[in-house]
Amino acid sequence: MSDLPIVPLAAWAIITGLDLASILQGLLNRPLVAGAVAGGILGDPQSGLVVGAALELFALDVLPVGSSRYPDYGAATVAAVVYAVGSGQPWAMALGPAVLLGLVLGQLGGLAIVVHRRVNARALARWAEALDRGDPGVAARLHLIGLGSDASRCAVLAAAGLGASLLLLRFLRVDAATGEALTIVALAGGFVALVGGAMRRAGTPRRMIWVGGGMALGLLSLWLR
Amino acid sequence: MVARLRAVLRLLSLQASYTYERLQGVGMAVAQAPLLAPLATQDPARAREARGRSGQYFNAHPFLAGIAVGAQSRAELDGQPGDRILRLRTALSGPLGALGDQLFWAGVVPALMGLALMASALGQGIPVLFGLLLGYNLVRVYVTDWGVRLGLRNGLNVATDLSHSLLRPAAGAAGAVAGLIIGAAIPWVAWWLLGGAGRSGQLVLMIVAVAIVVGVLTRQRPLSAPGVTLGAAALTLVWRWTT
Repeated sequence: MSDLPIVPLAAWAIITGLDLASILQGLLNRPLVAGAVAGGILGDPQSGLVVGAALELFALDVLPVGSSRYPDYGAATVAAVVYAVGSGQPWAMALGPAVLLGLVLGQLGGLAIVVHRRVNARALARWAEALDRGDPGVAARLHLIGLGSDASRCAVLAAAGLGASLLLLRFLRVDAATGEALTIVALAGGFVALVGGAMRRAGTPRRMIWVGGGMALGLLSLWLR
Repeated sequence: MVARLRAVLRLLSLQASYTYERLQGVGMAVAQAPLLAPLATQDPARAREARGRSGQYFNAHPFLAGIAVGAQSRAELDGQPGDRILRLRTALSGPLGALGDQLFWAGVVPALMGLALMASALGQGIPVLFGLLLGYNLVRVYVTDWGVRLGLRNGLNVATDLSHSLLRPAAGAAGAVAGLIIGAAIPWVAWWLLGGAGRSGQLVLMIVAVAIVVGVLTRQRPLSAPGVTLGAAALTLVWRWTT
């Protein structure tokens, strides 16, 4: 991993973090997208897609509504892909530890959002009177502080994520049986999140029929393949 | 036209200055500034008041906030009373939030991700994923621009036009479509990820069945899937190290 393309990976991790809430919200933060691109940067988009898909199962349980706290899977997915590709193990073994790393980093990313919003709040408290008076340029200044604060948050997360994956690649030794067991645990957790999220989003029993119908269609098409 | 496009561009970063006190208020002020610019030369005192109002509390779905930006700006340019403009802002906040959350966060996004997961299981993940990404972002920018135009056209009467738009029926249908697609994706993704990890068909079925039972049982009181997974992984490590 000495030839790891750190700069493009860090840049991509920062972009995905900014996309979560601050700029565009154009799906770049989704684990499936973040993982595929990170895999592409590492020359293995397929592995990136597999890691991204596993983390996407968890992300589909999240509704980023209002001011609720939600995980940030952008930089977390990039770090998980770096671990999975860098380990050189078959993905049945590497996927579990990679997804678990992504889950921990995703939660840390969520906590970092709270810190970023507090930074915004402190700036707002300082300029609130001028903003309410309608002084020109105040809102733009506060907005730039917010953008800078979130970019810093994303940079810290990118550094922490890439640092953590490199440390694990250097020091973590997982035998085949443990790796495979962790992969099963991570995927089982992902399916609990996916199914639970789909049912909660459906809400009413009538709406749940759509989920059940989809599942029946999926099973039928899989059987007929 | 240029002012509208500048407002749309600024709306793409609406939530950068999000706070728990005013939520999207500051972002709204930044997005509204180009549309309010003519007031600065016509009536500087009114422009200052308008800027003050534009930074107040606001929260809606970020993709639909343009409707409020356009409507409030039109009302300011038309010289409507300040208290009516603030009432409009408050009145739009809830419905635009609920509608957008239903349409995008609970509908379009899970549906697209479900499609991308299924395509990945079929070995077509990369091209389908990037096609969906492009389409989604075009729609995202279009919806923002449409919202600003709708608001600018209607001002204080925007709610009437909004109620006749396709947003409400689309939001209702999007949830059902997302449920159908996610439901269909579950067996395919299980077959791809668990089967690809060398698991037998029986184990794959058992894991999905357990996930469905847990999903049903915890529907009212959701559990933290990442927390449970990390806990189970810790137990797995202890078991592996002690045997």
